Amino acid sequence: MKAMMMLLGLALIFLFVWERVDVVRLGYQIERLKAQKVLLIRERDQLQVKVSVLAAPERIAKVATEKLGLVSPQQGQVFLVRQQQEAPIPASPAPEQIRVARNHQRAGFGE
Amino acid sequence: MSAFSRRRSFMLCLLLVGFCGILIRLVSLQILQAAELTAKADRQHQKSVAFEGARGAVTDRHGKVLAMNMEVPSVFGVPTALESPSRAARHLSPVLHVRRDELERKLRQDKSFVWLARKVEPEQGQRLERLSLDGIGVVMEGRRFYPKGPLLAHVLGFAGMDGQGLEGLEHRYESQLRGEKRVTILQRDALGRTVFPKGLAEKPPSPGSALTLTIDEVIQYIAEKELEEAVSRSHAKGGTIIVMEPQTGAILAMAVNPRFDPNTVGALTPDRWRNRALTDAYEPGSTMKVILAAAALEEKVMMPGTMIFGENGRMTVANTVIHDHEKMGWMTFAQMIQKSSNIGAAKTGIALGEQRLYRYLQAFGFGQRTDIDLPGEIGGLLKIPKDWGRRSLASISMGQEIGVTSLQLVSAVAAIANNGVMMKPYVVSEIRDAKGVLLKEVMPQAKRRVISPETARTLTTVLEGVVTDGTGAKAAIPGFRVAGKTGTAQKIDPKTGSYSSTQLIASFVGYVPADAPRLAMVVIIDEPQGESWGGVVSAPVFRRVGEQVLTYLGVSRDDQIKIASAATYD
Repeated sequence: MKAMMMLLGLALIFLFVWERVDVVRLGYQIERLKAQKVLLIRERDQLQVKVSVLAAPERIAKVATEKLGLVSPQQGQVFLVRQQQEAPIPASPAPEQIRVARNHQRAGFGE
Repeated sequence: MSAFSRRRSFMLCLLLVGFCGILIRLVSLQILQAAELTAKADRQHQKSVAFEGARGAVTDRHGKVLAMNMEVPSVFGVPTALESPSRAARHLSPVLHVRRDELERKLRQDKSFVWLARKVEPEQGQRLERLSLDGIGVVMEGRRFYPKGPLLAHVLGFAGMDGQGLEGLEHRYESQLRGEKRVTILQRDALGRTVFPKGLAEKPPSPGSALTLTIDEVIQYIAEKELEEAVSRSHAKGGTIIVMEPQTGAILAMAVNPRFDPNTVGALTPDRWRNRALTDAYEPGSTMKVILAAAALEEKVMMPGTMIFGENGRMTVANTVIHDHEKMGWMTFAQMIQKSSNIGAAKTGIALGEQRLYRYLQAFGFGQRTDIDLPGEIGGLLKIPKDWGRRSLASISMGQEIGVTSLQLVSAVAAIANNGVMMKPYVVSEIRDAKGVLLKEVMPQAKRRVISPETARTLTTVLEGVVTDGTGAKAAIPGFRVAGKTGTAQKIDPKTGSYSSTQLIASFVGYVPADAPRLAMVVIIDEPQGESWGGVVSAPVFRRVGEQVLTYLGVSRDDQIKIASAATYD
């Protein structure tokens, strides 16, 4: 009986020590994951900034005109076509209008 | 007593003294010095760190990011831990792009901490970490970043080095944008690693709220691009364009030229970043005739067909002579507006009388702030009739002796476009917390009715005439009905104190489509060179911006409706 009690006491001590050690180990793990999260958030923010910079209208206009040779549609080249009332309703939401760009003055882009 | 017994007693005494010494030391450590030593141990094991939630983002009406926070490295030095400041400065200089002697001077200071460069590019921080110099450290700090560069800079403003809003929306909405500041205590082990933060269950500091603007990034870009071109083409000092939704008061674009990049404010002066659209008042000149006409029509002092004699271009009022830009004889009231006759305007003002004109000017919001949610707005200058001189009634009728801001002018004209109801202009439409929960939604706010819907319709017809048959012909947008008014105002020459004949402000204010207005817009060009008439300099800018924005918004042109009704497409 005495031996049993001693064993139980020892087991409790080991359990307590193991629990304390595990708490510290988990603490280190949490800190590592937190640091990783911070790095990932930082990377996400940097990528978001890059996307926003690349999507700036000024840059897009520059690329469109200087690199791709596109031109702004001139007067009379953009037609807005209203959807017919009786047309069947599509399953997915469709834009209210369809834009049709025509180029009467030029044979093609990039000239 | 035997020798053995003496030795035993001596040893006993020795042990007793020893134990007493230990006991005294224990009492000293555990009781007398307990508080001091506990604090010392805490200082070694615990580290308090201040965390600040990220500043909220600013987006346009479609969620496009205009301002956001980014974690970037800041570099510091610990001069007391440096062996060779000159060697450290030699290594740092090419990475930080700071002069070597300047870095060395900082590192030789008798301090335990000095900033060497704050909020540098992430790549610079990585290069420094690779160098791993003793006594040089890198910490991450939040930097405000404006990914679109100069776009909307005068409205957004900018934040300072410590993340505090200094100008524009950043300043106005500082309390909402700023993240929560909180100090947390971390436990460190013998190697200085963080073991376990106290209060792990505590929530991290919450980031600031995000603002959604009424501004449309694309419309803003169109306005800024066209303004830049117009200013450069006319060799002007600068200019302003405001595009507003007449039915709501929502500002779609507010462009100010010259522009600046809020990412690199650096050595710029406040003069450069001031939002002139609402901080500067100017004498509007003939655009003020729109308000005069609204008052005269509403009060039934004039009808569009009422005949006015133009005095052949010359009339004396209070011993001063008023001129017209072209000699005019008899004309209708509508023609007077279309041809922008000063003499006709003076006569209309005199017919209205001081009190009535003043009442309408006040109702249209002149002499008072519009209360837009941007800082620095002024109320302009509108004297009370008691202070008016003998010529004031005639002068104010043609847009002199009154100071208005571009925002006041477009708000007033937008009221006519909105069937006579004046709306409060605003730029922030929503405030959401970091989780996207809506905290505040700004609803359009009607200020007052200034004229009846009938008067607004009549005036619209008159203002359409300005574009079809008058001074604003170059503002015409094919396929759309445009209503507006040109203005060419003389600035006061600071040297002479009188009106300058060379320093002018060319303007055009109007709305389109006139029958169902989607946009109210003002175009102001400050001191254009060469031909400086509002109809020549500003009206074409109105047309170019209007044409592109209406296409972008998908507003049908009159001729397209006719094509559409034929229902034949390729």
